[in-house]
Amino acid sequence: MDKSTVPLARASRVIGNRGHTRRDFSAHCRICETRCSGSHHRLTIAAGGTLMRTFLARIPFSTLLIGTAVSATTTVAPLAAAASQVPTAILVAAANAPQASASVPPPLPAEHLTVNKLGPASPHWIYVLDEAVANEIDTRLLLFDGDTYRRLGQIGTGFLPSVNLSPDHRTTVVATTYFARGGHGTRTDVVEFNDNSTLGKSGEIVIPPKHAQTLPTLFGVAYSSDGRFLYVPYVTPAASFGVLDPAKKSVIAEIDTAGCVLVIPSGPNRVGSICESGRLLTVTLDASGHEASRASSEPFFDADRDPIFVQGMPTADGYAFVSFLGEVHEVDFSRAQPAFRTPWSLVAATDKGAWRPGGEQVGSIHRALGRLYVQMHRGGEGTHKDGGTEIWVFDLKTHQRIARWPTETKQTGTVLAVQVSQDSAPILFAAYENGDIGVLDALTGRVKHIEQHFSQTPWQMLNP
Amino acid sequence: MHSLDRVFENSTRALAKRTSRRSLLATLGRMLTGAALLPLLPIERGARAATAEGGQTPAPGDASQACEYWKYCAIDGYLCSCCGGSSSSCPPGTQPSPITWIGTCHNPADKRDYIVSYNDCCGKVSCGNCFCNRNEGERPMYRLSRNNDVNWCMANTESDYHCSVSVILGVAEK
Amino acid sequence: MHGRADRCQFCLRGLWLSSFLGACMGAGASPMQDYMLYCMGCHGAQAQGVPGKVPPLAHALSRFMRTAEGRDYVLRVPGASSSPLTDAQLADVLNWVAATFDAPERPADRVQSFTAAEVTRSRHSPLASVLSTRTAVIKSLAASGQAPSVQY
Repeated sequence: MDKSTVPLARASRVIGNRGHTRRDFSAHCRICETRCSGSHHRLTIAAGGTLMRTFLARIPFSTLLIGTAVSATTTVAPLAAAASQVPTAILVAAANAPQASASVPPPLPAEHLTVNKLGPASPHWIYVLDEAVANEIDTRLLLFDGDTYRRLGQIGTGFLPSVNLSPDHRTTVVATTYFARGGHGTRTDVVEFNDNSTLGKSGEIVIPPKHAQTLPTLFGVAYSSDGRFLYVPYVTPAASFGVLDPAKKSVIAEIDTAGCVLVIPSGPNRVGSICESGRLLTVTLDASGHEASRASSEPFFDADRDPIFVQGMPTADGYAFVSFLGEVHEVDFSRAQPAFRTPWSLVAATDKGAWRPGGEQVGSIHRALGRLYVQMHRGGEGTHKDGGTEIWVFDLKTHQRIARWPTETKQTGTVLAVQVSQDSAPILFAAYENGDIGVLDALTGRVKHIEQHFSQTPWQMLNP
Repeated sequence: MHSLDRVFENSTRALAKRTSRRSLLATLGRMLTGAALLPLLPIERGARAATAEGGQTPAPGDASQACEYWKYCAIDGYLCSCCGGSSSSCPPGTQPSPITWIGTCHNPADKRDYIVSYNDCCGKVSCGNCFCNRNEGERPMYRLSRNNDVNWCMANTESDYHCSVSVILGVAEK
Repeated sequence: MHGRADRCQFCLRGLWLSSFLGACMGAGASPMQDYMLYCMGCHGAQAQGVPGKVPPLAHALSRFMRTAEGRDYVLRVPGASSSPLTDAQLADVLNWVAATFDAPERPADRVQSFTAAEVTRSRHSPLASVLSTRTAVIKSLAASGQAPSVQY
């Protein structure tokens, strides 16, 4: 090893990030204790191609290399540090750096800056839509791993977004609004496509500035079952919906719904909308995506006395809707016209009106297990957006409640949204008032983990 | 005149006993004078600014800055009274929504039900102060005129939402 | 009806410094309150609508009421057809709006008021496509007299 020291004049100049230097005298180089005669040096390499900042004092290096990222850490005597500013990024190879002694670990190897890709999706991943109510133009969809409790990434979702997944789950679609100057300016509504393996944007369709600006449900943007069409509800306040071609990235048609709202897709070419009267309007499209026919059902719920939440839950053959008073309306959407099963009640007659479902995403169904999870609270008229103090679990075949899990709400507040994973060791995710996310064993109700400070206002969750 | 009788009965019983119909009409008009005609076009609102009761933002701690305030029985969003406006005026530089949803709230002080208009003030980012969401009589989106999840700034050119007001339109007859 | 309209016209002209509700009390508070609760939120205090977004009723409703086709259209638009108002209440509020915001200037142009029975016959078949029906109805009204404006 070359035992000569590097003169200060030839040493790398210290260039900090953004031009200012930083000194850290806390790190300690035991190599230099033995070889540097009391002087220490510190090399800090800024990643990503920015200039490396080094303090060089008397360093017994055997090789000086350019272009190889290296880092070594030692402390620097102040005077030496001040004098050791060099303009160029000279990178020092640690390959032949002082050998580690028995008590000092070898220097860390160089790093390469990369961009993470997501691995294969786990059924225990969850998308959490943060409505960011205090800064509503800046909502985001956060991806979280319910096994490792890691945040995996996020997708920006603009102002009052609707979010959904393509049938193959490879794409996350977002219908949203952006203003030209952030908080003001020309409004542009757009449907954005995001690749779920990279969380990068893969395309967009600009739509008329009519996207229904409201809180998220599964019916604010939705694909046909075969992925050929994409539907977006419009409210201006007149109600209609757009039919889009996701492959060609174009708008095909706008279909007037005469006051009925939202887009509930079924099959390859049917779109359901909920009407003021409690009827369901079904529009059937032709092969080109234009209206072929429409039909209205009889009212399937009492919109005056016991309205349904619009946050429907996917079932094996359609969607289930919970009502304000706790009736479950399961709708079979698998045939040409929707078929409405007899509603059944979450609450015993004695509890009706006293215990109610509530929140922002009311209920979630595990389809294979045939279980409904729903957050419940005590309250009266006007409390339908109150979160749950308990989670009740029902068997969809027997309609019996099989579990009742009180939630500890002192720290987190009530449960505003629930979503269960669809695998055989399922996790129930609970989104709390304070923005935390709970990870529960969906079979036992045990709270495995609470991810604190996860988001501002997590009001919808989806299984990626 | 049948409906005028009903008005007497439900909200002005004492007054009805003492006055004739004609002067009652005038009296009612005077009682409710100053309540803004809503939604006003911006030009009218501007013309009234000098005398508008809503011109001043309230002092801190004012009742209209509390979510429990009777007028806010179905409000959803930030209270304009905490954002430089008041319960009946938009903060400076924002635009009132021309469309609104209209509800009825009970005033415990005089035991009347009032019709209120929940206009939004638009064109700026969220106020972020005094969030309040109450849902008496609120209904999901298929009852659009009773829904407060939807953005009532939607018909504004700059439809981002800043805060909400609650403006008395008049006494609700039963 | 006409008498009530006179009073309300007066109250509207002198409107800006007095309360809409107070001054119009004598003209029929119930249909007016129904208008406030169920229509005004979108159609506006002067039934002026919102350009490009909500059609006006002012200078429009009576014109639709001139023909059977126009009357049928009015009773089947979402705001009427899906309204929580009963058939009788809907007839009353529509008549009130027509008299208040689109009263014909010549007696000869007066239109027949809606009856509850007429409402019952029409309103329960909602329109499929509101905008295209509106355009077609206006076109045919224009061919025979006063018509609302197509654009709004």
